[in-house]
Amino acid sequence: MFEAAETEPRPADPGPARDRAKSVIRTEGLSMIFGAVRALDRLDIDIAEGEFVSIMGPSGSGKTTLLNILSCLDTPSEGVYRLDGVDVSGMSEQQRAMIRREKIGLVFQQFHLIPYLTALENVMLAQHYHSVADAGEAREHLGNVGLADRADHLPSQLSGGEKQRVCIARALVNEPAIILADEPTGNLDEENEKVVVELLQRLHGEGRTIALVTHNPEMGALAGRTIYLRHGRLDRQVIR
Amino acid sequence: MAVRSGVVAGFRWLMLRKALSRRKARAAVAIASIMVGAAVVSALAALYFDISIKMSQELRAYGANFFVGADPASPDRRFPAARYDAILAEIPADRLTGASPFLYGVVSLGIGNAVLAGVDFEGMRRIYPYWRVEGGWISVAFDDRNAMIGKQLAEKLELQLGATIEVYAPETGEKAELRIKGIIESGGPEDEQMFVSMDLARRLFAVPERIDLAMLSVVAEGDEAARLAETINSAHPEADAKPIRKISQSDGQILDKIEGFMALVAFVILVITTLCVNAIMSAIVVERTPEIGLQKALGADDREIMTQFLSETALICAIGLALGLALGFALAQVLGQTVFGAWVNLRPLVIPLTAFASLAAALIAAIIPIRSAVRIVPARVLKGE
Ligand SMILES: Nc1ncnc2c1ncn2[C@@H]1O[C@H](COP(=O)(O)OP(=O)(O)OP(=O)(O)O)[C@@H](O)[C@H]1O
Ligand SMILES: [Mg+2]
Repeated sequence: MFEAAETEPRPADPGPARDRAKSVIRTEGLSMIFGAVRALDRLDIDIAEGEFVSIMGPSGSGKTTLLNILSCLDTPSEGVYRLDGVDVSGMSEQQRAMIRREKIGLVFQQFHLIPYLTALENVMLAQHYHSVADAGEAREHLGNVGLADRADHLPSQLSGGEKQRVCIARALVNEPAIILADEPTGNLDEENEKVVVELLQRLHGEGRTIALVTHNPEMGALAGRTIYLRHGRLDRQVIR
Repeated sequence: MAVRSGVVAGFRWLMLRKALSRRKARAAVAIASIMVGAAVVSALAALYFDISIKMSQELRAYGANFFVGADPASPDRRFPAARYDAILAEIPADRLTGASPFLYGVVSLGIGNAVLAGVDFEGMRRIYPYWRVEGGWISVAFDDRNAMIGKQLAEKLELQLGATIEVYAPETGEKAELRIKGIIESGGPEDEQMFVSMDLARRLFAVPERIDLAMLSVVAEGDEAARLAETINSAHPEADAKPIRKISQSDGQILDKIEGFMALVAFVILVITTLCVNAIMSAIVVERTPEIGLQKALGADDREIMTQFLSETALICAIGLALGLALGFALAQVLGQTVFGAWVNLRPLVIPLTAFASLAAALIAAIIPIRSAVRIVPARVLKGE
């Protein structure tokens, strides 16, 4: 059911005129409550197909919490989340797992690589859950992030930047329509940061929908729109 | 499709191998638990199916369970040999394991007296197949040159196999020269007696048509034996038939108790195995929580997580089972030798039975850990390093 949407030709650059494009991510009154903490507080967000949005805000403002819900890793306490127009909030774990593997590429704030699998096998893991592990294709994606010669190294043998690039290759290997990245450059030096930024811009150019959480204003400014969160609420937006 | 499932299975196998080899110590303990469980179960099952069943069958089939004596009112305390034949004819052939008439008398053996019995060797051999016989049984019914002799009597007379001895019946003055063909060890009064063919005994004691008693081994269950005795007694008033308690009955009860005890031991060991494997699997799931969260984040559904842990459990179980069966076979020999004084053959049924028991223990052990693995919420566990 999701493949059909993926094979539709995407406009090369939908541009900032987001009202024209169809909404991919839409939340209505989204709240996440952890005991006494309201991590997200009645949040309304709308992200169009092909849009590149950055999410910024102080530490603890709910960025990761929001991304977890958007990627179907977590269910909101209140409110509605529509993905491609479908209400995801009420779905079963089985259906949400399917959405995760079919539609979403995730880059975590921490790397989360499996320590006993090589870089290549870590990338293949995402393929395995999506469809079939294909070493050739996985190697190609490692090449795209400049790690062709590190494919057979274990995560413990890789630098932080290399690990993060493995994670990006893993997020992209199934060609997901939506990429959700939580501070993908948080642990990287400037040079590696540049590699990641270029990758994201290239993906945006290919028409993917991207939501990027970052503390870095320069990176945030790469996006067509920046959403600022504060105490789990939408503080303000900047549209470029 | 076949290629796809092959690749999927291949990648699962790679994950399984790497995940387990990373936790060699834990996997080894789990394998050892299954191994011990499988070893005990297979050893006890091997004992049960080989020795215990064989023994109880033999005990049930062996030994005389019918005694036919003369009616107490008879003047010489004997009864006609023809009666013996008639009684035998009344017992269905497939029920009669063996039978022998006995005619007793006292003979002088030069340095002392002994009881000599005329018997049907063919029948004796069927009734008492477990007697230890040095040399051999007399196989010809009318053999009047050979004798068998009880072990203790042979020792007293310092008689070896093949030796010749002269017997003399003082009451009749008859004599015979006999060669010792076999030395009997029964553990009973027979060890003090001498046995010759019925024809020879009749000549020695000059009692042509009568016998003292007969021993029969009849397949009879429950009160069949008692009913058969009644039938015989009403049809043959000169004979007095009574079922006798076989050694097997009390031995059989002990055997039943041993079997019950073995089953209990096997069950307890399996419970302990289950608890051990459960503890190890739970620890593995706790350790791997972030990993499981990540797998779920990448789109693994509950079934995939379950498949992964079930395969791990099955692999641990298979290795433990293989080692356990080998160990169990060795253990069975030790137990067989110490408890029953016999080697144990591995009956084919032991393997599937042990496999089933070990697999059941492992799967029961895995239920709770697998459930907690499936319940992991990725967003909750994917925090920090
Ligand atoms: N599982 C949880 N249980 C309790 N409180 C939580 C949980 N997860 C997040 N929170 C709280 O929710 C709030 C938002 O957390 P979140 O991780 O979304 O912040 P963030 O914007 O990603 O911060 P940072 O920039 O430091 O990563 C914080 O106050 C945090 O303490
Ligand atoms: Mg965060």
